[in-house]
Amino acid sequence: MDATVLGAWVATGLTLLIFSFLYKDNPLFKLAEHLYVGVSVGYIIVKTYDTVIVHLVVKPIMDNGEIALLIPVAIGMLMLTRYVPKAAWMSRYAFAFIVGMGAGLAIPRTISSFILKQIEDTVRPLLSIAGPDGLTFSMNLLNPASNLNALIILFGVSSVLFYFFFSIEHSGTGRAVARTGIIFLMISFGAGFGYTVMARMSLLIGRLTDLIEFSDASYGRPTIWLTLLTIGALIVISRRARPEPPQEG
Amino acid sequence: MSFAERMLKIDRRIIFLVIGLCTLLPLLYPVGLPIKISSEVRGVYDHIESLPERSVFLLSIDFDPASKPELYPQAIALLRHAFRKNLRVIAMTLWVSGTGMADQLVTQVAKEMGKEYGKDYAFLGWSPGGQAVIINMGQNLYSAFPSDYSGKPTKDLPILDGVRNLKDVTYMVSLGAGRPGVEEWYVFGKDKYKFEMGGGCTGVMAPGLYPLLRSGQINGLIGGLRGAAEYESLIGQKGKAVAGMDAQSATHVAIIVLVIMCNVFYFSLRRTSQAQGQVG
Repeated sequence: MDATVLGAWVATGLTLLIFSFLYKDNPLFKLAEHLYVGVSVGYIIVKTYDTVIVHLVVKPIMDNGEIALLIPVAIGMLMLTRYVPKAAWMSRYAFAFIVGMGAGLAIPRTISSFILKQIEDTVRPLLSIAGPDGLTFSMNLLNPASNLNALIILFGVSSVLFYFFFSIEHSGTGRAVARTGIIFLMISFGAGFGYTVMARMSLLIGRLTDLIEFSDASYGRPTIWLTLLTIGALIVISRRARPEPPQEG
Repeated sequence: MSFAERMLKIDRRIIFLVIGLCTLLPLLYPVGLPIKISSEVRGVYDHIESLPERSVFLLSIDFDPASKPELYPQAIALLRHAFRKNLRVIAMTLWVSGTGMADQLVTQVAKEMGKEYGKDYAFLGWSPGGQAVIINMGQNLYSAFPSDYSGKPTKDLPILDGVRNLKDVTYMVSLGAGRPGVEEWYVFGKDKYKFEMGGGCTGVMAPGLYPLLRSGQINGLIGGLRGAAEYESLIGQKGKAVAGMDAQSATHVAIIVLVIMCNVFYFSLRRTSQAQGQVG
């Protein structure tokens, strides 16, 4: 059997087994779920071993004599001392290295990219109101760079930040601003949910597209045969799982 | 039990069936609804279009088969565009679980476009470290990837002539399904080494990346299957994403109808129970 055809049968079968969960939880779904986890982990272990141990450590040391690589290898090996209780303290050096390096790299870059740049972008469009030709104000809602949108964003950011400011009581004007913050948050959650629905439907479309493609005669119509087989198996499983009626007398 | 109560307690498998049919029927019988191109997708397209021949285009395929339906069509459309423009395409991944898929993707599109490995494109594979790989590439690309996916030394690849680090990359696109992805490429790559960058992502991630787009931190964003369909329309090679748009629209309509119906039944039930409470 050609590898593509075999792949089509395996992909179709596993897709249908996963979809069988929509009917109810069953052993077929569990089988596909465990296979997915096992294959994913196995693939990652093999790839990581081949790339890291073989190509990035062993080969450069053996072929090019890059002895300096033994330093990161030694730091990495310290992690394994977690399995020896008496030597477990040594793993702290490796963790300290990772945490220190990670924090040192991430903190300045994150502050620069996500806080300073975003604050700048929230305030900068307002400066365009006072241009070289005097005061101007663009009202176009469809243009993200318009002054009206800049004001809406500024107001949204301020009101949401105020909503999360708990040191003063949200009453009077403060309550109105906090409520506005909630409205902005709700709009944001709505947009997020809409995109999530779109993403999940895209995944369904992807699987159904493959199932339609694999219903072709050139693959041996695995979609049709395996759908019938899955339905049959589900019927057998639900009949076996049906509890025996209590005996009278 | 009233009609509203019965509808609110409807078997969820009926809803699954409705959504399944709304997806399946348009895939079997496409209508061809129009696709409007958004400015964020056009941003990526226009930038690639403006690049001169043999510019260095870095594509980071930061997803695995779990996100294939959304990001694979994006990657195919981007690669077709880049190859058509005769750019030097360097592909790589930060996701170990996506390595085999990324290799298959790049090889398939390059073969289709008649491109030669090593001269027109290269696939560097995966290197461990996530954001550390990006920083390493910013300093020395050959230290982050001493060899390509097939094990050839990267220094011997003609496509990398004159490319020492990320500063020599003309344009970069990260197609990300999570972390590391678009944000890491911006924070540890573009912001530090100053190259032009665009992004592609799953639908779930898109709202979180819009602030980067609006502030000009990335110059374009391809969001989900919809973004892929727009890009396919822009390059004039309609593929799986465009084919899925009818189904996407149909399911969205079905979900909107279901949300409205649920709210109507919920409020009618609440009104009835309030009226009964007043009578009682």
